[in-house]
Parts: sequence; C-alpha cells; structure tokens
Amino acid sequence: MHTLMGCFCFKKLGHKPGYEAPINLASETPFTVNEVEALYDLFKKLSSSIIDDGLIHKEEFQLALFKNSNKQNLFADRIFDLFDIKHNGVIEFGEFVRSLSVFHPNAPEADKIAFLFRLYGLRQTGCIEAEELKEMVTALLCENNMSLSEDVVDLIVEKTMMEADTKRDGKIDDEEWKEFVKKNPSIIKIMTLSDLKELTLAFPSFVMNSGVSDLQQPVKN
Amino acid sequence: MEETHILFGKYEMGRLLGKGTFAKVYHCKDLTTGESVAIKVVSKDQVKKQGMMEQIKREISVLRLVRHPNIVELKEVMATKTKIFFVMEHVRGGELFAKLYKGKLKENVARKYFQQLISAVDFCHSRGVSHRDLKPENLLLDENEDLKVSDFGLSALPEQVRNDGLLHTQCGTPAYVAPEVLKNRGYDGPKADIWSCGVILYVLLAGFLPFQDENVMNMYRKVFKAEFQFPPWFSTESKHLISKHLLADPEQRITISDIMRVPWFRKGFKHPLSFSIEESVLDHVEDDKLPSPKFFNALEFISSMSSGFDLSSLFEKERKSGTMFTSRCSASDIIAKIQGVAKGLNLKVGKVKDFKLRFQGPSEGRKGRLSVMAEVFEVAPEVAVVEFSKSAGDTLEYAKFCEEEIRPALKDIVWTWQGDSFNHCSNVKIDGEGCKMQALPTAYPTHNL
Repeated sequence: MHTLMGCFCFKKLGHKPGYEAPINLASETPFTVNEVEALYDLFKKLSSSIIDDGLIHKEEFQLALFKNSNKQNLFADRIFDLFDIKHNGVIEFGEFVRSLSVFHPNAPEADKIAFLFRLYGLRQTGCIEAEELKEMVTALLCENNMSLSEDVVDLIVEKTMMEADTKRDGKIDDEEWKEFVKKNPSIIKIMTLSDLKELTLAFPSFVMNSGVSDLQQPVKN
Repeated sequence: MEETHILFGKYEMGRLLGKGTFAKVYHCKDLTTGESVAIKVVSKDQVKKQGMMEQIKREISVLRLVRHPNIVELKEVMATKTKIFFVMEHVRGGELFAKLYKGKLKENVARKYFQQLISAVDFCHSRGVSHRDLKPENLLLDENEDLKVSDFGLSALPEQVRNDGLLHTQCGTPAYVAPEVLKNRGYDGPKADIWSCGVILYVLLAGFLPFQDENVMNMYRKVFKAEFQFPPWFSTESKHLISKHLLADPEQRITISDIMRVPWFRKGFKHPLSFSIEESVLDHVEDDKLPSPKFFNALEFISSMSSGFDLSSLFEKERKSGTMFTSRCSASDIIAKIQGVAKGLNLKVGKVKDFKLRFQGPSEGRKGRLSVMAEVFEVAPEVAVVEFSKSAGDTLEYAKFCEEEIRPALKDIVWTWQGDSFNHCSNVKIDGEGCKMQALPTAYPTHNL
C-alpha cells in the first residue's frame, strides 16, 4: 500500500529530468514563484515541440526562434550555448530561467553588458577579436541574403575596431566593451525583453496548478 | 489588526472594497512602486465547479492585449493552491451610475462618457476581445472623471462583485443584454456589445432603463422586440443614434466605425493619446550638425538586424515582420524617397535631423494620430540601414501601416528587410538597382526572384 502511494505521488508530480522547483529558482532570480510557474508553461511548450523530454534541444530552439527547425544561425547558436550553462547540449528548465532572468527589464545593466560580451566573444577568449567581429558580420550578411565584397566587410570591421578598441591591440577587452556600450546604448536593447514583465498574463495556465501554499506565500527580498 | 498582511511579498493588503459569493476585492498597495491596486481574489474551487477554468485562462491572455486609457488594466495574475488573484488598476472615482442618483446627465456629459465607452469597446474589438457583459457595475470613473471599463473579458468569472445602487437591476435581469444573447444562440460578441452600449447611452440620457418591467417575462419580450420609447427631452440626433443600436437583428445594428462618423458622436471627440514606450532609444544631441548619416558600427548592425538574437520571438507564435531594412542607395536618396512616399500617402513629414524623419498619419487612430520615425544609418559607403519606430499611436495600426503602406512603397530602394530570409525561405535578392529605376518600378520585379 505504501509503495503504491509512493508510486502515485511520483507520477502525479512526475517532473522531467532537469526540472527545478519554482520556489528555488524564484529565490535566485528577479522572477516570482508564479512567474517561474508561468515560464514553466512556456518551457514545456518549447521543450516538447520535437522531442517531449523536458529539455530544449538545439532544433527546438531554432524552431521557436525562426519557426523553422533547420535554420542554422551563428547568433542563435551563441545564445543556445550561453543558455546551456552545463554544456551538455540541451537547455534544462533551471538554465532557461536563470539565463532569461538577465533579460528581465529589472535585471542589472551590468549583467546585461557582461552577458552580451560573452555572447560576442565567439571563441571565449575573454575578449572580442577583430577576426570574430568579421565572422559575425559575414554571418549577418549571409542571414539576410546580402552579399558584400570582402573589402567592404573589412572596412566595417576596421571602423568599428577604431571606435571600440581604444588600446589598439586588435581586440575589445572587458573595459573597452563597457565604454563602447556606454557610447552606443542601442547595442544592449536586445538584452531586455519586455515580455518578461507580463509572464503571468501571457502564460496563465499556472493558476490551475500553482504549488504556492496559501499559508506561506513566499516573501521576496 | 496587529499584523499587516502582505500578499506574495509584493502587495500590502488594505480594506475590502467589495464582496460577492465567489470573489472579494481588496484595496492593496504595490510595495515596490507604491502604486495602489485592486486585487480580486477568487476561489479556485468555485471556478472549477463552474467549469470556467479554461475560459478564464484564455481571457487572461487576451486581456494582456487591451491596454487602453478607458479600460481598467489587468496588471498581473497570481495564484496559490486554492486561490487566484487578479491584480488590477485601482480606480478611485466610483461607479459612473452613482452620478445618476442625482438624475439624468446633460447631453454633453453623457456624450463624453459614451465617446470614451465606444473608444474602449472599439479598441478591444480591434484586438478580438468582446466584453459581453457591459453594465453599470463595469463602468467606473477615475479621479479625472474619465470612464474606465472594468472586467473586460473577465465576464466569465462567476458573479461580479456588486455594490448596491439605484439603477442596479436585480441579479439575472436582462436589462443590458442583447436579445440574441438572451436567446442563448451562438452570437457575435462585438454586435452584442453595441446593443449594450445603446442601452447605456439611453440610461445616461434618460435616468432610467429602456427595457423595464415588473415581470421578467415581459421584460424579455420587450428586449426581443426591441420595444422601447424615448422620453421627450432626447434630442433628435441622440434618438437616431440609439435607435441604430437597439435593433433586435444584430446584422442591422450600427457598427463602431459608423458610430464614429455620426456628427452627434464626433462633437468634441478626442481620441485618447498614447505615447509609446517603443520610442527609439537611439537619440543623440539634436543640434550637432551631421554632414553624413550616423555610422552604424558592426555591433549595432548585428544587434539590430540579427533574428538569432531576438529572443522576443520565443514568446510569439508567428514571426513578426522587421522594422529595419538595408539599402544600397545613398542616405540622401533614401531620405528623398521616403519623403516622396510619405507625401504620396498624405502624411505630414518633418525633418528631425538630416537623416531622421518624423511623419504623422493623415487621420486620428484608436490612440490618436500615428507618428512614425525613420532614421538612416550608414554601415559602409554602399550599405545603409533604415530603422522605423513608432513614437505615438496604436500598435496594431502601426503594424498594418508598415505592412500595407511602407513596405510596398519602398520596395525599390530596399535591399533586405530584417528577418525576411526566415519568412520567405529561398528569397535571393539582386541588389542595388532600386535607386535608378524609380521611373519604371514594375519593369523590375524586385521581390520573389
């Protein structure tokens, strides 16, 4: 009888591997428990679009971004790699919530600037090199079906390095990056998702199965 | 009394504002912003018993889309194991119908509320939401005496919280409800709302209901036949307008766009203005004279043009279309072209800077005149980027304007629109001929090559 009950409970709570309790994630991020529950709804949708295993695979991520699972894209790959904190090729729920929290309108700007710096540092050398910049411009042109001569691409990269690489050592380091973003604030616009402020309205399914206890509503900060 | 109750660590609970069998509304304070809100607390058990859960979920996600100055905003929903909390904007001025305790309203005053009601209803209908339950309890006034419609889309909630008032009808009377709704047929939400708006205008001008009877069955009969009479003080124009609302056949009823053309309605009508938060942040010092467009560096170029970085698409079912395009024309050619196109579309064009234009729509929209900025940046001598952004007006009208007016009109100078390669898979563009061929645009099909 006891085992039967246990079985039943397990099945009822049956969360997929990689699941983390909303209450824990809420304590680490700007999200409330309800918002994490709402994000779980989105996560379930994204992680089951191709294989329903509770993990977001690369193809599922591409499908969500481009509505096309075969669309390879350097920038989507970079985001995926940064979201995949454990580097095991998939995005787990906890990774999803923690990474998205940087995109919250209330998240510290310094976090957004740092995240973007890592995103652009393709080879993770701790800086953005001219070579990487060129690779990204080329990828962007390709993404948009634009062809430009290599000379023009070099010119774009050169002009940008002139502006950003104030130490003239062929790469943009952390310090130069912060200065550069300060002068060109539009660059970090992509680091803020206003949708994250309306999670409970956009994904209201959590109201049905919220696990928040009536007695102990969690107190935030 | 010794403890203050804090909801979710976010809202300090204050006094009870209203109470029904299934719901209670409290006045609360948002601890982070200091803002005052009204929180409606509903028991999940009751909602489940009524089989309303799915409907409520659907309506919450729809309500997110209806932000309008004359609609009470739903800010957030919260839940525990047993309760649902709807966090709403707190409206201080009480119910509109409390005004009627002193008697009917002057025509000008009634018109103002009716204009605001229609404006709110029109906005919702444009977003695919109908109220279905427009009635006195749902019409509130804010501290500036402006109308706020509440419970848009939440009419499925079991029993609205009601305060008692003179004109409140007893529970279940059909005073405001369209005949086709009473007949319980499949009905058209927007058309039913128009009926209710007609009843409301009548009540504001008369001080009593158009369909009233001691006997509920008689009342039904009157509603079904749309049988009512005007008191002698109604103006001809207002009688005419109300008659077009209160037609038993929903197909015959006046539409919102027709209401808005009626001179009686138009008198002193102001569209609510909204200044968008979507205003571009790429603002520079106004008076530094630039002989050439601003240089768009590689990282600005990547950040703004790459669809791979745009995570907002995780939240959307369909791909949205881009607001930027690249061009091989010179910045001054682009500016000249956009100015020409804008004039052709009857827009008012102004120069903000040498390479930044602002244009305004020819007519009032749902949230005032549409105002759009276009700025040209230079990535390289033969590559320019043009960014459009809305600085005022209705988002939906803006999207339609971009899609139906701007895009086709500019196709000669566009190299690629941001994100288009994902929408039309094998769309390879031949570049750069646009500037020279303005005279013969149809001879060079530049799309779908």
